[in-house]
Amino acid sequence: MEFLNYDFVQRGILTGLLIGASSAVVGVFLILRRMAFLGAGLSHAAFGGIALSMIIDVEPFLLTALFTVTVGNLIQLISSKRKVPADAVIALFFSAGVALAVILLGISKKLSENVFGYLFGNILMVTEKELIISLAVASFVALFVVFFYRNLILLTFNEEIAKLRGAHINLINHLLISVASLTVVVSIKAVGIILSSSMLVIPALIGLITGKSFRSCLFISMAVSFFSVLVGIFISLYYNLPPSGSIVGIMVFLFAITFVKKILK
Amino acid sequence: MYVVEIKNLYFSYDDSFLVLDNVSLNIKKGEFVGLIGPNGAGKTTLFKLILGLLKPLSGLIKLFGTDIRNFKDWKRIGYVPQKLNSDYFFPATVGELLNLTKGTRKEEIIALFHLDSLLEKQFLKLSGGQQQIVLLGLALSTDPDLLLLDEPTAGLDVHFRNHIIHTLKNFTVKEGKSVIMISHDIGFILNTVDRVLCLNRSLQYQGNSRDAIGVIENMFGIREVKSGIS
Ligand SMILES: Nc1ncnc2c1ncn2[C@@H]1O[C@H](COP(=O)(O)OP(=O)(O)OP(=O)(O)O)[C@@H](O)[C@H]1O
Ligand SMILES: [Mg+2]
Repeated sequence: MEFLNYDFVQRGILTGLLIGASSAVVGVFLILRRMAFLGAGLSHAAFGGIALSMIIDVEPFLLTALFTVTVGNLIQLISSKRKVPADAVIALFFSAGVALAVILLGISKKLSENVFGYLFGNILMVTEKELIISLAVASFVALFVVFFYRNLILLTFNEEIAKLRGAHINLINHLLISVASLTVVVSIKAVGIILSSSMLVIPALIGLITGKSFRSCLFISMAVSFFSVLVGIFISLYYNLPPSGSIVGIMVFLFAITFVKKILK
Repeated sequence: MYVVEIKNLYFSYDDSFLVLDNVSLNIKKGEFVGLIGPNGAGKTTLFKLILGLLKPLSGLIKLFGTDIRNFKDWKRIGYVPQKLNSDYFFPATVGELLNLTKGTRKEEIIALFHLDSLLEKQFLKLSGGQQQIVLLGLALSTDPDLLLLDEPTAGLDVHFRNHIIHTLKNFTVKEGKSVIMISHDIGFILNTVDRVLCLNRSLQYQGNSRDAIGVIENMFGIREVKSGIS
């Protein structure tokens, strides 16, 4: 356990737990709003934002966050018109983001050198600044959920009843997608573009399958997320494996156990 | 002042087929009104218009004397939808759902509908009838002045149905609340309500139960309504 004394390990664990908490909570609401695919869509759209920020050489987090939040809100805006199915809209932006990144990748050498880092992330290489950003995003998520808790439950229960009880449905949907976008952007650092949606989806799914109440779903989702981040990082350090793979590997393993137990019952 | 006032209401989902064709009606304070009509007659649509969830093609809707376009006090209206859109994962328990209502008649409702034994159970794991009761409890828990109930007794056993109707009548008689209830159980509606509205895209009839029979027989093309009335 002597590796716990290293700064980079402490930073990694702390950042991982913060990202894990944000995505565990946001993920539950996304799945209940039937937007599980959104995480994958947003992270791939974010790829375009990352590429863009490298080309014009600005602070990557800020531009990517702005880009992804904008894309998220566009997805919400278009799908709320109900002319096209939401998952198709997500798929559209998924492809558009990757296409943008691929084009820019062809232009810029700098991006091509870093592309592996963005695709697969590395929680053990986060900077102090990224830790602080993760803390900010986690606080933002916590504020949002605490403030809108009743309305979020009502909204996932029945939109019409929620509206009668004075919930601002549009506002909440846009805020939810905005915090989801921010969560995705920070989790790219931890597990990369390709795996960031698993942070959103898998713990939440385990929570929803096993939880006996709304509250317990949220707690289980968080617990699964924390456990996977911690064990995943330890395994990656002991066996010298990429942390993103081991974190998500633990999640998938936990999901498999839960699912099998559920079926056997 | 009427609780609901509707004048020359027209509505269409796709600008071609009129789902509601020149509907005018008024609901008074303390009135228990039944709304009947064949499948696709526009009953649920009419509710959604009253709830401001749909916008009329033309016509006037006033709620508690205020034009619906300026109406803000939605908490005064309780609604039990015909079907829920959460047939998927929805983990909340009955207790959690009831807790969504702040400082109201929650305790009273729990006792009235015997919900205490269901509080820890997840809503989606209840039987259809139990879900119906919880929905009604939820609608009543905000202490609304107007209740819109879309087939609230579908799936309820006779005992519970009578209990709920008794409760609703108390609300209208003792507290002056108004209820509009949609049901396909015509005999039951005619025996229960103060006034019947027969809707089939346009309003075919409004008035007491006795005189409604001829219209209903016509509307549904049946000849057995009388036998259902006591
Ligand atoms: N969202 C919608 N989009 C388009 N048409 C709709 C929509 N909802 C209902 N309709 C149509 O409007 C008409 C009235 O439907 P509505 O649901 O109001 O009937 P209803 O009287 O409640 O019937 P039921 O007794 O079967 O519940 C039907 O012809 C239906 O096909
Ligand atoms: Mg209906």
